[in-house]
Amino acid sequence: MTAKLEAYEGIVGAAVIRQLQHLGQKLEGTGVVHVNSTRQGGGVAEILGWMIPLMCGLGLNARWEVLNGAGEFFSITKAIHNGLQGFPVNISSTGWQIYQDANAVNFERLRPLLEDADVVVIHDPQPAPLLNLCSNRKGKWIWRGHIDISHPFHPTWKALKKFVVGYDASIFSMCQFALPLPHPQFLIAPSIDPLSDKNCDLGEGELEEARGRFGLDPYRPLVVQISRFDRFKDPVGVIEAYRLVRRVSPIQLVLAGGGAVDDPEGKAMLDEVLEAAAGDPDIHVLLLPPDDHRTINALQRLADIVIQKSTREGFGLTVTEGLWKGKPVIGGDVGGIRSQVVNYHTGFLVNTPEGAAHRIRFLLHHGELRNNMGVKAREYVRENFLLTRHLQEYLTLFHQLLSKRGEKMFYV
Amino acid sequence: MRPFRVSDCTLLTSMSGLPAAVNLRELRDRIAICSADVLYHHFCETPMVPFFDNPDYRNDFAVWSKLHLSDRVLAERIGIIDPYLVDDIETLRSQVLDIIDERLSEIQVVPTALPGSEFYFLEATTVVFDAGTVIEHPTGLRNAILNMTNSSIYFHFLEAKRRPPVCIDDFSVWLADWGSDFEQAIQSLRSIDFMFLTLSELKIELANALAGKGGLP
Repeated sequence: MTAKLEAYEGIVGAAVIRQLQHLGQKLEGTGVVHVNSTRQGGGVAEILGWMIPLMCGLGLNARWEVLNGAGEFFSITKAIHNGLQGFPVNISSTGWQIYQDANAVNFERLRPLLEDADVVVIHDPQPAPLLNLCSNRKGKWIWRGHIDISHPFHPTWKALKKFVVGYDASIFSMCQFALPLPHPQFLIAPSIDPLSDKNCDLGEGELEEARGRFGLDPYRPLVVQISRFDRFKDPVGVIEAYRLVRRVSPIQLVLAGGGAVDDPEGKAMLDEVLEAAAGDPDIHVLLLPPDDHRTINALQRLADIVIQKSTREGFGLTVTEGLWKGKPVIGGDVGGIRSQVVNYHTGFLVNTPEGAAHRIRFLLHHGELRNNMGVKAREYVRENFLLTRHLQEYLTLFHQLLSKRGEKMFYV
Repeated sequence: MRPFRVSDCTLLTSMSGLPAAVNLRELRDRIAICSADVLYHHFCETPMVPFFDNPDYRNDFAVWSKLHLSDRVLAERIGIIDPYLVDDIETLRSQVLDIIDERLSEIQVVPTALPGSEFYFLEATTVVFDAGTVIEHPTGLRNAILNMTNSSIYFHFLEAKRRPPVCIDDFSVWLADWGSDFEQAIQSLRSIDFMFLTLSELKIELANALAGKGGLP
């Protein structure tokens, strides 16, 4: 359940709320349809979960539609996803046909909505072919790439590009993620909802309940990585780092994540992680239901250090969540983590399990610095990565696309 | 006298379409051909872009020279350029190119950034809208400034200084309409050295300039 916009006033200030209301007023009644591939699990679903009600609250007619697909479709889109992130994958022509056919079936279901919308936002590669299917569209279509596609596996990008070039604009989280496309490419960083179950304040009782439920020792340091079980999140590398630290410090490690409908590789990766953990009682591998946000919130708050040792990352909302909870984050030196983790200020960027182990030990030895970094981390998120800024940029983009003017500055 | 209608603005950053620069020579070549909007963004719109702490320099070219080319000499020379002291963007472009050309003539090896640290040429679209606040009299200006968003401060003070044909901040232009009583306040506002201030700091500085001696009567 998303809070009303006014509820955020205590966090971001009244002026920011007024700003959004003014921008929204001028877009009243604008029909916006967002399409992605899952309603639960992963950062995109979380963002849409709050964005749609807030857009509606501002007077826009916003909707969120999800692709229906069988296991085979999601296996292919996962391969596309991996290919776009630079992992060599082999997608056959039959595979690409299944991908297009599934989109065609979904298009027939969504046709009236998509044809009538003033703005359609297509999230990630899964629903990208919808544009070419919608020949009677009247609105502006935006492709929103959430992942780092700066160094894709070329055959995958070459095949996908033909579905993407026709959009009126695209959005990337960072300039480093963008690839040359023949339309305007806008930069909008994602964000978190500070009042959601995953990020709201929790009482001491709820934290202690979570600690007890997972058998965590309150007297020993706790390192937590929250992520889907995905090769690019490098959970096995985190276990390696834990083992290096464990030689000198009695730390505990939590690797927790939910599955997602559109991620068929999660089970295989989870098995690999369990094998690497080898029954160590201080490594807690938790497969949580995708909607168990309060447990994730509690684990991040119980942590002394949050880690996100990704080797490829879109933006890394779990980093934002950790920072918002006042924790220094040890993050992989990739993607959007670079714009959130600032060495010695909000955490440390690392490249290897050894690097992660080194920084865990450093932070465990410098408690006061750790606390100061946590304070800075929270303020950094407040200024830059909360949903109000995110919403403001989307509204600005809608104004620009719908204004039909080419000026760099215009009045609404 | 006319009241002051407070405006607000939002910026949306986009790719300029130019390839990223990997080394100083590529930076130079792309600065030579990029649009005025790109130069304006990297020099003047930086206060509106998220950053952590105060960077050493307020334009992106100087920051990149220092952090990713490790050329501190170049960073210092570009870093001191004040885009508000030049007549137009083309003059600004010439100044930057002169400095880079001079630097290229001094060094033996062209400095190069590591992969992943290239310079991306960006620009921004600004949407301006009525913030819904009206200031009826100059005596209300100080409090109104303290209640403005940072983006209103940016629009009325920094952006206005480069907005033709006046190219002066909106606050002092408005005060000038009210006669000579506000001459001191106008001078106080126009003498603020805002180069190293964040927008939050600038807001306080503006309010301070309008308070006490030399401020509003």
